[in-house]
Amino acid sequence: MAVAARARSGAPIYEGSRIPSPTPTVLRTPPDLEATGDILTVNFGPNHPSTHGVLRLIVDLYGEDVTGLEAVIGYLHTGFEKNMEQKTWWKAITYPERIDYVSFQNNELVFVLAIEKLLGLEPPPKAQWMRTCLCELNRLHSHLVWLGTSALELGAISMFWYAFRERDQILDLFEMVCGTRMHTRYFQTGGLAEDIPRGFFPEARKFCEWMPKAVDDYETLLSRNKIWLERTQGLGLLSAADAVALGQSGPVLRASGVNWDLRQNEPYLAYHQVDFRVPVYRAGDVYARFRVHMDEMRESVRIVEQCLDRLEAMENEPWIADDRKVVLPPRHELHTSMESLIHHFKIVTEGYRVPEGEVYVAVESPRGELGCYVVSDGGPKPWRVKFRAPSFVALEATATCMSDALIADMIAIVGSLDTVMGEVDR
Amino acid sequence: MALDGRLRDAGLRSERLLWPTKGPSRFEEEVDDLERRVGLTTLQKAVAWAQTNSMWPDTFGLACCAIEMMSIVSSRYDIARFGMEPFRGSPRQADLLIVSGRVSNKMAAPLRQIYDQMLEPKWVIAMGACASSGGMFNNYAIVQSVDKIVAVDIYVPGCPPRPEQLMEGIIRLHEAVRAGVPPAYEIRSVAS
Amino acid sequence: MSLQDIPGLVDVREAHDETTVVVEPSRLTEACTYLRDEEGFNFLSDISAADYLGWGKAGVSGYIGTTAGRDLNTPMTQGYQALPQSKPRRFAMNYHLLQISERPRRLRVQTWLDDGQPVPTVVGIWPTADWHEREAWDLMGIPVEGHPNLKRILMDDDWEGHPLRKDYPIGGEPVRFSGEE
Repeated sequence: MAVAARARSGAPIYEGSRIPSPTPTVLRTPPDLEATGDILTVNFGPNHPSTHGVLRLIVDLYGEDVTGLEAVIGYLHTGFEKNMEQKTWWKAITYPERIDYVSFQNNELVFVLAIEKLLGLEPPPKAQWMRTCLCELNRLHSHLVWLGTSALELGAISMFWYAFRERDQILDLFEMVCGTRMHTRYFQTGGLAEDIPRGFFPEARKFCEWMPKAVDDYETLLSRNKIWLERTQGLGLLSAADAVALGQSGPVLRASGVNWDLRQNEPYLAYHQVDFRVPVYRAGDVYARFRVHMDEMRESVRIVEQCLDRLEAMENEPWIADDRKVVLPPRHELHTSMESLIHHFKIVTEGYRVPEGEVYVAVESPRGELGCYVVSDGGPKPWRVKFRAPSFVALEATATCMSDALIADMIAIVGSLDTVMGEVDR
Repeated sequence: MALDGRLRDAGLRSERLLWPTKGPSRFEEEVDDLERRVGLTTLQKAVAWAQTNSMWPDTFGLACCAIEMMSIVSSRYDIARFGMEPFRGSPRQADLLIVSGRVSNKMAAPLRQIYDQMLEPKWVIAMGACASSGGMFNNYAIVQSVDKIVAVDIYVPGCPPRPEQLMEGIIRLHEAVRAGVPPAYEIRSVAS
Repeated sequence: MSLQDIPGLVDVREAHDETTVVVEPSRLTEACTYLRDEEGFNFLSDISAADYLGWGKAGVSGYIGTTAGRDLNTPMTQGYQALPQSKPRRFAMNYHLLQISERPRRLRVQTWLDDGQPVPTVVGIWPTADWHEREAWDLMGIPVEGHPNLKRILMDDDWEGHPLRKDYPIGGEPVRFSGEE
């Protein structure tokens, strides 16, 4: 791809690209339309009826056509990264969950994987499989929230209730294992925080039997619905080259025809031992993203079933690594072993030390490539933690997707990019 | 409906003052009959009943708590039984502002604008630890408690609070309103 | 891998199965164009800026940032057992690249900058760099030369200071009972 000269406004960034130039993320009204004086600037302020959270869009309208678009973010900036530098490694694990608050366990996972990579610590197989299982349940949870809210915004209001019914079942499963519905804080450096309760498996199987039928119900409601098709097909087009240039990943990239899924191309946890398909569609429009989400839901159920098969056979195995310098020793040992007591004391007061180094770990969150860049100085607290949020990058594509769109399509297009503002603003 | 009992018990006596052995008059009988069909109460209680039974919240979901707030609308934790499932998009049509999530310094001004646009009487629930006190984010970016910006009636702790916890907070608000507690802006000012 | 042909190359490091390539900031655009066109790194995952002010000061572990720099002797921190390797300059800009292909490769391109030294933009090479560079400017104060829209993105437009720097305090309110401030 040749790069055109940067400073000329109006020249494409590369041949055949729809990415606006000179600023790739801002759509500007062409000067001839501006001169007509018919441009109306509307502010879709941070508080708006759609359920995406605090995103502000400043939109220039010429009648119903969107001619200019700029996204203003930062209304949920929390300073996660700075807060995490103040806490020990153990305490800092509580923070990443709240970044992408819909797929919370993926965030925990990426941070814990980064710590384990720096430590060179390998969690036991039971922990790997359970982490895979929970991350896939979380993917289902995230897609259900996306489906419910996106359909609600486009007018298919009853989808919200159906999607949230299944979502409550998944949260019940989380509560059973981790103790709380959201922000579960179940992943620990070296494995899991606690063993898996036996009651989890029959309930999870019941859920796995029910879920494909629920997905069939959703497809019955939407996939061949004339109104849904009219409102989603042919909109928000993003070509494969544009998607890669804009750094898109996850369902948005796969709906543009690029077969790229970190679970399959750079497997982590137990994904290389699990059989699943990665849905790829070529159209690059909102409907293709919808189809990718639906197919991924089915595949996630299959992955969860395979994980359950493996986990039921691992009942008495350890769920966390054995390295006492990092992992708390079991409580009964504290009565008999002096070293365990000292390790416990050091880990709880000062925290474990992570060797000096920097790593970048990426996982496939439901929104795309969620990356964590961690720099350690050898001490008990992180030096720098940076999260690469897929929604941050997805919003950069709004301007490209919204070229030649109508104002009524804006909701569909921004919804299909599946953004969570907590991730965007961190 | 708060029924104050029958007028007769309240002492409506009319002609009996002059004629002690007379039974209930035609007027009293009709009033009794009417009371069986129509409730009588004070204006304050009637207004409070109307306010609590359809207190419409504004869509002010910010972060994680917003997801749990959305789930009280769902069928398991149905908030429609309390008349609250129409989340109004416009603050002009809303009675209740459930601040669900962390309020950053950049968002503080829009929050105050939304609150100012709501018509009185209006109530505010600070949902979650971040709205109540800044939560786990004691830093440069997050407003340490939303009561620095708006007057809060009910604080619901949790991170995020379960839907049942939020409903408990809402129901306590309803009970407070029915008991005659004025909204927070009349009795509190915002924290400095 | 012909990483030795990258223009402006200073160093190549391997650790934890990751390759880090250090380049001179003045030749960053050439290096990135070479990596995208010749080596095939068509995807920019992330741009992370890091501030190393106070790195490796003896006897300090953890960090509490104040306007005077790092706070020593804070309770519950003990000294290092081994001092970390010293860093050439204060700021590092890391570009995480990925090659989307049958055999994916990842690479980190690192440049070192002093306070106030600008870094050339890579928006012309990977358009996704737009917001990442704005974030680096907003939170770390690293000026980006040639960026079409260098404004604050996460903080308020009139915010003063760059919050993620080590000499910027954490802020917030003092809490009465806390193990650490």
